Amino acid sequence: MAQNVTNVSQTEEVSSTRRVIAASSVGTLIEWYDFYIFGTLAKIISEQFFPKDNPTAALLATLATFAAGFVIRPFGALFFGRLGDLIGRKYTFLVTLVIMGGSTFAIGLVPGYKAIGFFAPAIVFILRLLQGLALGGEYGGAATYVAEHSPAGQRGFWTSFIQTTATLGLFLALGVILIVRQSLGVETFSDWGWRIPFILSALLVGISVFIRMKMSESPMFVKMKKEGKTSANPLAESFKQKDNLKMVLIALLGATAGQGVVWYTGQFYALSFLQNACNVEFVQSNLIISIALLIGTPFFIVFGALSDKIGRKYIMMAGMLIAVIAYKPIYQAMYDEAALKTKVEIVEKTTIETKEAVKGTDTITTKITKKSYEDGTTYKETVKTTIPLDPVKKAELAAKDKLKPETKKEVTLPKNSYYKMIGFVLIQVIFVTMVYGPIAAFLVEIFPTRIRYTSMSLPYHIGNGVFGGLVPLISTRLVEATRPAPGLPPADPLAGLMYPMLIASVSFVIGMLYISNKTNNMDVE
Amino acid sequence: MSAIKKLFGIVWSLMGIGIIPLVIMQAMKEIAAKPSEENWIFWSIVIVVLMPIIAFSLITFGIFALKGEYDVLE
Repeated sequence: MAQNVTNVSQTEEVSSTRRVIAASSVGTLIEWYDFYIFGTLAKIISEQFFPKDNPTAALLATLATFAAGFVIRPFGALFFGRLGDLIGRKYTFLVTLVIMGGSTFAIGLVPGYKAIGFFAPAIVFILRLLQGLALGGEYGGAATYVAEHSPAGQRGFWTSFIQTTATLGLFLALGVILIVRQSLGVETFSDWGWRIPFILSALLVGISVFIRMKMSESPMFVKMKKEGKTSANPLAESFKQKDNLKMVLIALLGATAGQGVVWYTGQFYALSFLQNACNVEFVQSNLIISIALLIGTPFFIVFGALSDKIGRKYIMMAGMLIAVIAYKPIYQAMYDEAALKTKVEIVEKTTIETKEAVKGTDTITTKITKKSYEDGTTYKETVKTTIPLDPVKKAELAAKDKLKPETKKEVTLPKNSYYKMIGFVLIQVIFVTMVYGPIAAFLVEIFPTRIRYTSMSLPYHIGNGVFGGLVPLISTRLVEATRPAPGLPPADPLAGLMYPMLIASVSFVIGMLYISNKTNNMDVE
Repeated sequence: MSAIKKLFGIVWSLMGIGIIPLVIMQAMKEIAAKPSEENWIFWSIVIVVLMPIIAFSLITFGIFALKGEYDVLE
């Protein structure tokens, strides 16, 4: 009889934990989706909201906005982390969800630069900052909430479901964008269809808010509040007291900084590299990343669960070390797989088509060259030249060297190379799962309940948001620095890897030397 | 192990201190060579955001390590 009661109680506990995981994960997944559609649509957003005079500047401006979204995250971590430690986890990460959904929805409604001028990028910038603030408060809340509901000895397993949401959020973002783009056609999508993924967020967030409203507060927080042990000033306690500050620093330098760069390299930089360095066609490059993410996602749970058995430290450190060693060979292999100079062209299949059309006050000349290769690769180059009909304006632009054509290169890989590319990205996603799978459990366990939300959120978002979030900006810059002249290919297309490799190396050394494999404040409170 | 942790504490602190002039000099060099908008944006982000975080955290972490604050974590 007693055995039956115990079994029923354990089943109820597992069922309750599952409900908590599901409700928390859905909300966090939607927040990541909201955050990543902006990054994934960076090129289109740059065309819509930033002046077109200089495409590189426009792209960099978008990346800067992208970075701003990341850089603001630590402030969100401080603001909402403090609230979460003062008033509770549940209401705090409900608020972050509403702010995120509202901002994303609003981005989808902002008129373009052509319609309202400077206000367009300014409004988008502010909304992007709000997104960053909300995300800064969300993750720490979700990880803390789930960990505080999880049984001791299983936190790595249960929190790893929250860890899958960042990758699944990116997957969802890529999936929605691809479906909308394929349904509407490229031109309509570039014109207004890109707004749909943003507007769709309102519906997703609405569902998630409804689910979260029904959740109860974290049991550890409720107990602490009843006993009157909550922190009066979580910020001061987290960062002014030496014992906590030193754990914040070790979490940042020994874990989250390295994890952040590995995360962004394996997912975002891989996509950017496929599109910009390998010139892989938009749909194909997104499919490569999406499939690799989908296959790799279960490994978050594998490594999260494994960390319950052997500790968090060595799994995360192994992920960083292998990533540092393997990045260059992997990216070289990706580059070689798409390189046209090593392929044999079927010259008789080459076609060149030139079109000229008058659009508004400009004459647009488009030259499309299509080539086929023996291994099944196809190449399409579109050179678009826009020349004003007004001779005075034309002379002005010519004087400023602004009559340069826009060139778009698209390589479509054959099946064999396509699968290889999925494999190369999948290996990187596995590194991501090693460093990221156990990290939520690691972070929640090194800080006490009274300041956990604040203390774990800051190193997480500096590591991910600043160190990781700047990977696209810094790596693009490092590659650009090797370009001998505008229009020529960069001398070292792999130069961008230097930044993540350096950060992950330092993080690995610090983590190996200073992080304990046993620290756990949750079970001793 | 404790001695190595302390010794590396000096390394982290020196790295934190060293990164400040290194980044500023590189920024000045590149902006002087090409004072474009993209150069300004890039170096502003590095100098205002990334550099202070790296410098502050490495210096403070190094000092803690040197003082043996992390010796208890094995």
